[in-house]
Amino acid sequence: MLWLYLHFPHLLLDHIRRSSEKASALVIVEDSGQKVIQACPAARDLGVGAGMRLKTAVSLVPELGIIRADQQQEARILEDQARWLYRYAAHIVLVPPNGLLAEIGSLQRLYGGLPAVWQTLEEVLQERRLTAWPGIGHTPLAARLIARSGKGTCTSDKGHTLQVLGQMPLLAAEFDERTCTRLQRLGLNTLAEVFRLPPADMARRLSPETLAYIQKIQGSRPDPQAPWQPPHYFRQQADFVQDIEQSQGLLFPLQRILSELERDLCWRQQDTDCLLLVLGHRHAEPTRLRIRTSGPEHRAEAFLSLIRLRFEQQPLQAPVILLRLTVKRFLGREAPSGQDLLGESQDLNEAWHTLLSRLQARLGENALKQLAPQADHRPERAWSASEVRRTQHVLTTAASHLPQRPLWLLQGPQPLTEIPQVWFTGPERISGGWWDGQRVHRDYYIAQLNNGQLAWVFRDVREGWFVHGWFG
Amino acid sequence: MSELINTLIQDARVWQGQRHIKSTQPAEPTGYQALDNQLGGIGWPRGALSECLLDAPGIGELTLLMPLMQRLSQAGKTVFWLNPPHTPYAPALARGDIDLNQVIMVHTEDKGDFLWTLENCLRSPVTGLVMAWPGKLAAREIRRLQLAAEAGSNVCVLFRERRYAEQNSPAALRLELEPGEQQSLNINVLKRRGSWPGQHCSLAITHRANLLHHEAPRVVQGPWPTLAR
Repeated sequence: MLWLYLHFPHLLLDHIRRSSEKASALVIVEDSGQKVIQACPAARDLGVGAGMRLKTAVSLVPELGIIRADQQQEARILEDQARWLYRYAAHIVLVPPNGLLAEIGSLQRLYGGLPAVWQTLEEVLQERRLTAWPGIGHTPLAARLIARSGKGTCTSDKGHTLQVLGQMPLLAAEFDERTCTRLQRLGLNTLAEVFRLPPADMARRLSPETLAYIQKIQGSRPDPQAPWQPPHYFRQQADFVQDIEQSQGLLFPLQRILSELERDLCWRQQDTDCLLLVLGHRHAEPTRLRIRTSGPEHRAEAFLSLIRLRFEQQPLQAPVILLRLTVKRFLGREAPSGQDLLGESQDLNEAWHTLLSRLQARLGENALKQLAPQADHRPERAWSASEVRRTQHVLTTAASHLPQRPLWLLQGPQPLTEIPQVWFTGPERISGGWWDGQRVHRDYYIAQLNNGQLAWVFRDVREGWFVHGWFG
Repeated sequence: MSELINTLIQDARVWQGQRHIKSTQPAEPTGYQALDNQLGGIGWPRGALSECLLDAPGIGELTLLMPLMQRLSQAGKTVFWLNPPHTPYAPALARGDIDLNQVIMVHTEDKGDFLWTLENCLRSPVTGLVMAWPGKLAAREIRRLQLAAEAGSNVCVLFRERRYAEQNSPAALRLELEPGEQQSLNINVLKRRGSWPGQHCSLAITHRANLLHHEAPRVVQGPWPTLAR
């Protein structure tokens, strides 16, 4: 087994810098808000360093962006990293707060050797603008120690690994404080010296736990690692140092998240039709936007144009400090049917969904309706309007069996205000609805009004005359 | 012929109406031979706006489009009804052999949305026919729609009031509709791109109410006295 450990020295900084367009100086301060824990390169150039008091840092760089360390947030960001790493490696272990462990011995065949695995990961890290120190070792702990010391090299040689470990000072080996002091009092300075101690002596004179730890580093004691399971949903979050007041400013981080989603969907070989976008505000309830497409979709640009439309319709209620995109509904992907081999004919099915999604995003979902006849004798109930849905099903009812009806139906019957010029067919008695209380008892006629309109008129029980439709 | 005219013709400085080539713009037959003949034998122009100007609904304006709607919907093209003044009655459409899965009714709240929707429908390859009831439109807006129509290749019919007949419009085809004798529909061609306007025709479309036009209308004696008018 060969393990790769990725140590992210400033994950939170990387995460925040990814969602801002311009690079400004950023620092992370500890929970109490007194001390700087991490500083980004821009801040370091200006003289701000880790361990500095916040007041000093602010007086050095007045426009410093300050983020408070948050354990929950860090855990979430770490899981985000595990999610992309899962595309390259199957056995992943989260090591909070800032490490990921992956078993890569089994990947060598797939990628064609260890250097290829190493290179792939380095490319991905660079593309994601993440700083990570990798380390390879024959045990999880060895990989971790090497990665955290920043001396990781691409080698699967156990001897080399042990040699590097051996040169490591005791302080870097992450013993607890008491053990570390005791080892130093024994006159030991490097791990190699500790390795040389006889195990029985070590267990007796130090503690069995220390022996177990040393043996786990060396690989003579098993160190099982439970693999991490990726969740069955997509979630990405962008946090902003400065409040974003224009929806335009949200498009940049959204673009990145959506292309991430596209890659995720491609990787899953699935599509989605519903995105949930949550915009967090500092002093108000978060805004929740549900973006729906009319059909399965996976392209980032399609989602982005829908979201852009939505933003145009619905301006931001308050400045945004957080943006989270969640997708929980995944649909199986269908092979494009309309495409011919040379891609000459456009895929109409896809174009249909694109158009309808655009219209629904701008006009609202209730603005579009599809019509269908209903089995009822009462004219106002003989039709229905439903949400638009793409169906390939063919009408099976023999259409010619339907009675003669006008093409226009009025929203409600209008009183007839003139004596029609000519009377045609009639009466057609429609009586029904006694079963649901919406009683209708009418005699329908077709008549021509004085201005030439052909109307569908009826007389009700109370001898009133009404127009109910036009033969358009 | 005078010397002057001969010179002008030889210099090709005078355009001669009778010689113009029959327009080759794409079009969809209307389904009514009499009307097709008046429209140069081609019918509704595709990729351009058409206007129907009429006073009141119920004179056969939809029946005029039924053959086109039927053909396009069955060919899998979508038919949009944009802001219709009344409800398109589904049983009647189904009876007319229109595939209702392809019929989509859209209602917009303001003019901006209306123009945006219409433009998007016109540009899409899935659209076969758009029927729109725009109300008041500025010439600039019609021009914008005309450009959108040119980007696609579908039929777009705007239904407008007859008083706009005086106003000029960039639409490629403008028809004035009025009720004629015996429930027929009289059509005046007000404008046709690439040709002369002024043609008339009358379509017998009594089948919309299943009336036989040669039969004398059977008068139904209504019990009228209660309706004082």
